[in-house]
Amino acid sequence: MHMHKYEKIWLFFGIGSLFVFLAVLGVGAFAQGTQPPSCLTTIDPEKVDQTPPFDKPGLVKTGDNEYQLNIVASAFAYTPNQVEIPKGAKVTINVATKDVIHGFEMAGTNVNMMVEPGYVSSYTQTFDKVGEYVILCNEYCGAGHHLMTAKVKVVEQ
Amino acid sequence: MKTQLNTNTPKTKVEKEPALKGTLASVLFLGFFLIFTWVSVYFLFLNRL
Repeated sequence: MHMHKYEKIWLFFGIGSLFVFLAVLGVGAFAQGTQPPSCLTTIDPEKVDQTPPFDKPGLVKTGDNEYQLNIVASAFAYTPNQVEIPKGAKVTINVATKDVIHGFEMAGTNVNMMVEPGYVSSYTQTFDKVGEYVILCNEYCGAGHHLMTAKVKVVEQ
Repeated sequence: MKTQLNTNTPKTKVEKEPALKGTLASVLFLGFFLIFTWVSVYFLFLNRL
């Protein structure tokens, strides 16, 4: 089959980028263990309030400079909605929802999860900068969706 | 008898290559734009780690 030289160039370019992207995806998933925030832990969405650690949501110290932040999302609030985190802390954030699908985005960070009923969404983040972060819901969840926010303060130890 | 001169030289079909210079330019422009946006978002992600 006769093909124009230029056609060969862009086909090579296009198929080449496909393989580059597949390689990036493969290395991320299989070598570095990247996974979606909610793929392993399940929870009964009707019993979130009775299931540890969501029966006592909040910041828990789990080790030297390591913390767990457990948050319950429900229409239209996060519990707790004010959290103080010491600077430099490595925090594993676990979020569960009691009702519908919510979002969990910490503006200005890589923390951005979908919170689905029945699953616990987790993400580990180290907070190296002092400041205030706004948490907001970025999955439309109902009439009060735009009011669903929380605040995290990173403070000097 | 008149001999007729055969003036009909056999026609060779000249297939013109289509002009694809502009297409190549626009395809590469789009390709580099996609790579540029992808790399920018990746560096934004690394910056926020």
